[in-house]
Amino acid sequence: MAFHFDLILLLQQLINGISKGSVYALIALGYTMVYGIIELINFAHGDIFMLGSFTAISALELFGVNTKAPANETLKDPVVVVAVLFLSLVITMVAMGLLGVLVERVAYRPLRNAPKLAPLISAIGVSYILQNAGETWRGPSTVNFPAVFVEPLLQIPTLDPSRFLTIRSKSILILVVSLILMALLTQFVQRTKMGKAMRATALDRETATLMGINVNMTIALTFFIGASLAGAGGLLYGMFIRGVQFQLGFQAGLRAFTAAVLGGIGNIPGAMLGGFLIGLVEALSDNYLQSQWTQAVVFGVLILILVFRPSGLLGQRVAEKV
Amino acid sequence: MNKSRLGVLCLSLGVSASMLLSGCGTDTSTATPAPTTAPPTNTPATGVSATSTTASGGTTSGGTVKIAVDLPVGGAEGANGIPTRQGVQLAIDQANKAGGVTLDGKQYTIQMFFLDDVPPGGQGHDPAQGSKNADSFTADPDVMAMVGPFNSNVARAMMPKLNTAGLANISPSNTATDLTLPAFNPKLSDLRPTGKITYFRVCTTDNIQGPVGADYAFDKLGKKKAYILDDTEVYGKGIADEFEKEFKAKGGTVLGHDGVPKGTTDFSSIMSKIAATSPDILYYGGTQSNGIPLARKAMKPAGLNIPLMGGDGIVESGYTTAAGADGEGDYGTVAAVNANLLPDSKSFIDAYKAAYASDQWQGVPQAYSANAYDATNIIIAAMKTAGKKDRAAIAAAIAATKDFKGAIGTTSFDANGDTTNRWISIYQVKGGTWTYIDQQQFAAK
Repeated sequence: MAFHFDLILLLQQLINGISKGSVYALIALGYTMVYGIIELINFAHGDIFMLGSFTAISALELFGVNTKAPANETLKDPVVVVAVLFLSLVITMVAMGLLGVLVERVAYRPLRNAPKLAPLISAIGVSYILQNAGETWRGPSTVNFPAVFVEPLLQIPTLDPSRFLTIRSKSILILVVSLILMALLTQFVQRTKMGKAMRATALDRETATLMGINVNMTIALTFFIGASLAGAGGLLYGMFIRGVQFQLGFQAGLRAFTAAVLGGIGNIPGAMLGGFLIGLVEALSDNYLQSQWTQAVVFGVLILILVFRPSGLLGQRVAEKV
Repeated sequence: MNKSRLGVLCLSLGVSASMLLSGCGTDTSTATPAPTTAPPTNTPATGVSATSTTASGGTTSGGTVKIAVDLPVGGAEGANGIPTRQGVQLAIDQANKAGGVTLDGKQYTIQMFFLDDVPPGGQGHDPAQGSKNADSFTADPDVMAMVGPFNSNVARAMMPKLNTAGLANISPSNTATDLTLPAFNPKLSDLRPTGKITYFRVCTTDNIQGPVGADYAFDKLGKKKAYILDDTEVYGKGIADEFEKEFKAKGGTVLGHDGVPKGTTDFSSIMSKIAATSPDILYYGGTQSNGIPLARKAMKPAGLNIPLMGGDGIVESGYTTAAGADGEGDYGTVAAVNANLLPDSKSFIDAYKAAYASDQWQGVPQAYSANAYDATNIIIAAMKTAGKKDRAAIAAAIAATKDFKGAIGTTSFDANGDTTNRWISIYQVKGGTWTYIDQQQFAAK
């Protein structure tokens, strides 16, 4: 196949990759935080992302967005749009956060002192339960997610007068909201007392107890934050692709997990970096190779990183505790 | 210790009880509402023997004979499987009302033995489940023939087992070419280990459906540059390849052909890549449950204001519901004649409506209801011709079917088991529903 270098297309795909990547980063943060604090790969996390998008549909309905008829699923007034989106985001994040706390309390806390395999299997079980809950709730077919607002397309003129670089305003929205949430998270973890407690618990759980940290609360908070970020991702993603389905969590969760491992599992900036990288890899693979190879490429990248740098890109080599 | 053991015991009893209860009742019995109109006016295959008299106390009752039915109804497949199964049930009910079939001098009632090829908890048709169903069917000595499966990849899994057991099956909707045509499958003998033809279909094949789509797009719609996507499954890739061949042969340009793996939800980068090539139509071969509506929704934001065309995998309500307003004006082909336009089909349409008026489609036959109806009637006619409760005799009678007049026109099976009735209908999304716009007979090449 003749390869001709198309700069405009490359830039377009970089933009696509970054907006995909922001969603993966949000989900990856949940994986990485939970692993950091209790060394569990929470397989149910991707399904919380899916339930987040389902919940977002209900939240939007609450505010008067018609989710059934595609013709009138958009709001006109920009102020109303911002208000509705903000409130729906808050509702979705809180709802998913609480779900995350519930899952931890019921499925993982009783197994906290069990061998590592037990909570892992439990997580797989929770994943199935959540998927089935999603299927029972909204059915097995693709569900319509309202567009919410008619998005203006930002068309940047290029040197070629017939072609434009198209940036969807929703891409910008996703990127901005994700960056804000990630910044808030970083501030929380680095600057607040609860954040310090989280870091301490992740470092050494027993000693943290000795220091007077309420470990149960800290872990519950970690799950709350992780799940709420996944919920936010669910709303943003649903609004972007305008359709969600109960098996969405599986694929998205797998890519986000790859992103978390790529960046160094347990490392928060690593998860963000990993998310953006995986998004870019996907977009470039769809473009230069063919889309049927994209999954293979993403996991190929993961394997390469793990072979040459097992702790991930930003992970630190921690000496094994004896 | 005792309490928790008691708890575990109760739990396991409860689980096993519910499994038993859910296991029963999936076979549809003949207790569906019987149609009020007379049986179809079709003339069975030549050589109807005098043994097919209606029993009125003269012949002894031999019990029940079963027609196996394998269709996907669970998960997201209800729109595919349910109307098709209803077509089968209608034919069985009408035949039973007319006295059933007489085999070996005894009168038999026909019963449907239905198994879903969507596995429990699954979302779509599954070849592995179909294979298990084939085992269940072949093991039951009362099963004489089968209607189904719906999907070509399930057929590939089931055919060797059915062929080995000598159980004939007629599919109402498989369109993949490699199931019957030696030109498309050098290893066809793997699907027919005994060498005998036991697989038949009343719908025509993708090597017809794909090219008719291409002809329509090029000639009638005036599209010269196409980009092709497929869902990487047997059916989707097959029909997309056929479209590509014909489109190029007509002089059109194919700008690219990519496969999109199942489970893809974000099509933004794929659509950006396609938009950069400026096609005037996008052909997407595949079933709508594999993400096609999401692809449709990603087209306009990427700057692709062109129609989408597909095969019968997208001509269903699942596509229009999920694609919404974006899908308006899209095209699809169906490997079935529009039964509503044939004079012989009126009695079928009326009977179907009377029997199923309360279903979610208000008793309107869906894309494959008439196909399933005719497939069942061909089997029943073959049973009468063979006159014996013997799979091999019935399979031979099906193979010899010539000029069977039914709801979808006149059917004869050729040497490969394919129908000589090569109608393709063209549908378009208008006002949010798939509306028939044209149909073409495709001349044998």
